[in-house]
Amino acid sequence: MAEFRMEFMKTGNLKYLSHLELIRALERAARRSRLPMEHSEGYHPHPKLSFGPALALGIASTSEYFDVGLGREMEPASIQNSLNQVLPESLRITAAGRLNEPVIPLNALINRAAYRIELTMVPQSLPGVKADLAAIISKQELVVSRNTKTGQKMVNIRPLLHNLTMVETSEDPGDRAHVLFVFDISGEIGNNGNLRPDEITGLIKQPLTVSGITRIGLWREERGMIIKPMDLCVQRPKIQ
Amino acid sequence: MTSGWEKIRNQLDQVSKPGRYIGEEFNTRIKEGSDTDLRVALAFPDLYEIGLSHLGLRILYELINSQPEMVAERVYAPWPDFQELLRHSGAVLYSLESKRDLNRFDVIGFSLQYELSYTNVLTILDLAGIPLSSRERGSSREYPLIIGGGPCTFNPEPVAEFFDFFIIGEAEDVLIPVLEKVHTWKNDLNAGDKDSLLLELAQMPGVYVPSHFEVGYHPNGKIARIENKTGDRPIRAVVRDFDHAFFPQQWIVPYLDIAHDRVAYEIQRGCTRGCRFCQAGMIYRPVRERTPERVMKGLESLIAGTGYEELSLTSLSSADYSRISELLESACGCFTPQKVNVSLPSLRVDSFSVDLAKRFQSNRKASLTFAPEAGTDRLRRVINKGVTEDDLMQATNAAFRAGWQKLKLYFMIGLPTETEEDLAGIANLAGEVLRLGRQIYPRSGGLRVTVSVSTFVPKPHTPFQWRPQISLTEIEQKQNYLKERLRGRFLEFNWHDPQTSRLEGVFSRGDRRLSTVIRRAWEGGAQFDGWSEQFRYQVWMNAMDAAGLNPDFYTGSREYDEILPWSHLESGVDPEFLKLEDTRATAGLPTQDCRQYSCSACGVCSRLGVSKDLAGEIHG
Repeated sequence: MAEFRMEFMKTGNLKYLSHLELIRALERAARRSRLPMEHSEGYHPHPKLSFGPALALGIASTSEYFDVGLGREMEPASIQNSLNQVLPESLRITAAGRLNEPVIPLNALINRAAYRIELTMVPQSLPGVKADLAAIISKQELVVSRNTKTGQKMVNIRPLLHNLTMVETSEDPGDRAHVLFVFDISGEIGNNGNLRPDEITGLIKQPLTVSGITRIGLWREERGMIIKPMDLCVQRPKIQ
Repeated sequence: MTSGWEKIRNQLDQVSKPGRYIGEEFNTRIKEGSDTDLRVALAFPDLYEIGLSHLGLRILYELINSQPEMVAERVYAPWPDFQELLRHSGAVLYSLESKRDLNRFDVIGFSLQYELSYTNVLTILDLAGIPLSSRERGSSREYPLIIGGGPCTFNPEPVAEFFDFFIIGEAEDVLIPVLEKVHTWKNDLNAGDKDSLLLELAQMPGVYVPSHFEVGYHPNGKIARIENKTGDRPIRAVVRDFDHAFFPQQWIVPYLDIAHDRVAYEIQRGCTRGCRFCQAGMIYRPVRERTPERVMKGLESLIAGTGYEELSLTSLSSADYSRISELLESACGCFTPQKVNVSLPSLRVDSFSVDLAKRFQSNRKASLTFAPEAGTDRLRRVINKGVTEDDLMQATNAAFRAGWQKLKLYFMIGLPTETEEDLAGIANLAGEVLRLGRQIYPRSGGLRVTVSVSTFVPKPHTPFQWRPQISLTEIEQKQNYLKERLRGRFLEFNWHDPQTSRLEGVFSRGDRRLSTVIRRAWEGGAQFDGWSEQFRYQVWMNAMDAAGLNPDFYTGSREYDEILPWSHLESGVDPEFLKLEDTRATAGLPTQDCRQYSCSACGVCSRLGVSKDLAGEIHG
């Protein structure tokens, strides 16, 4: 048995798939690929894929991960290739690696996420949006109401947000009367709570449309050290 | 103009399960096509999860797309939240493949599987900005042709005014010739208007143009005449060489968890059992089988091309397939090592079927279903369900002994000649089966006998087409009678909603006057009527009242010499045979299965020029 880690993108209209739908799509692709998958036990055996933190429906991603166990050693690149041949176009494996053992599961590893948020608005709203974002980052406390199993709960989400960076402003290519404004946020994901991009956009009080949210990074940050999921794969000697 | 899709594509996270509306499933066919190609939208008037589970539309989708100058795309009835999004955004409903607005197709073909999905046809047309009735659309080329297929077309009269034509029966062999004519007409602007096209199409087998017939009524509501204005003779289309008939080589793999989420290979068409209530048993005659070699070859490529974890060998009665043991052996031998589950729907009530189930069903925790349909041997003779109490006890005994602890039993109430004894029989049988289970599993807490009871709906083109449906009060009384007798540990009782059954009864044998009712109920908010959370019985009753129609008229009994709303539609089965079967029912006489015994002279082979076609010797 050999464990591999795949990095993949979920783009285009497939951002509208739920986490469960995504898992099923990847499991079926894994079966189509005819790779020597390890299967679960029981009456309905399915390929053993383990995933990182779920991506909310409606959010695209350039950096998602899953781990897969194969019955024998293989070149990671050839696994990547086999899977890409049988995946829908909007799901692409972008990197593959053989994991070092013992394997740290993705969910135990990852505690940080970054998102890129695209807003469209009339140009007059832009200064207000920038001011709102500046206010968000300068506040000590940002209390929002969350729906939980036990009802509504007030939560201070400020500790979940670590960084907010304005990226660019441009003319909306589809509509000249509007501008496109892009900013990135990053913060907690996992056991210490989850930063939710929609809660951040909800704090902006200007008229605007959220035209896209993309998860652009998942990693571990601990005592100033940054570990990316693919860093835990076997490093191959660089050819000079 | 901005397309419907462009208007809503960034707002899909506002609706439940947006995966229903994005397409892009694996194996979806996206054909660019040219302006002269024929573009067909295949529409299913129910949710995506139901529509994509339907085998018939999958066959037609691949069949049309295999033609070089034709394109088929899909559309399903969107849930109310998505309808709201479309209307709010001023967006037109679109197809899942090219995201083209539905009103820009040449043909919209609806699959009519269930009477209570008729309102969804209107929703789809309306969301496409297409006038609802054929008359409103007129004879110009402005709008797509609206056509219908599926079992409901054996009496499509309640929806006749919404359609330009129907294809009655099995479409595989006739659809392409029909679409070729439409294609030629599309590209020849001198070829006349829609009416002239319909005149030409009406000459083809399977085609029924409702506007070529005019229906007159007696003051009592019965039909006085069905006037044939053009000399058409609508006759059911049939596949003569089923083994070679088109079957998909590609299979769309959904992202969503759909109702029947598996590869389904049709191993046989038709059923020889001759149950007198069963419309499928009449309208898909005669029985025709595919060879196991073809089935296996097809399945191997479909499983490899989909990654599916389950396949089903489907038909109306798969245990009857003449080489079922051999086929099951090959399928399990090939697919079990690939971790693909093999399943067989519709087991018969006998120990042979349990033996089959033992071979493919390793999971004994799942339930096994038997359909005795009626509570006594007498009533089962009336409906020609050749199953005795002994058969049921033997089958359930075999199932318990093989390790199953959860059994489901399907019954109907309101069957012709039913008495209290027959109802008591349902409870008694369930009790007997449970007693047997208790003997075999005296200490098990996992034992369960589930009794599901539906209400008999008389269906057109069956021996019981003249019989009444029981009233709403009777349905409730009979269900209550059973509720009291099917209580207790290990027993579970399910029943169908009485009002739903009644409305099915009205539309099953309805006439053209019901078009007004459907339209009015739809305007009053009726849609997704088969979904209990959406069903609004009062809206329907108000619509019936407003049209001056009485539901009892439709659910009541009919005379042998009466003109029925579907009398002008030829199913292939001789109406005299249906009458004979109905009288034999009253007398409690069985009619033998033509698979094993002599021909029962139903007339279908000679009338349609087709014959029974088995893949091998018959078995017990």
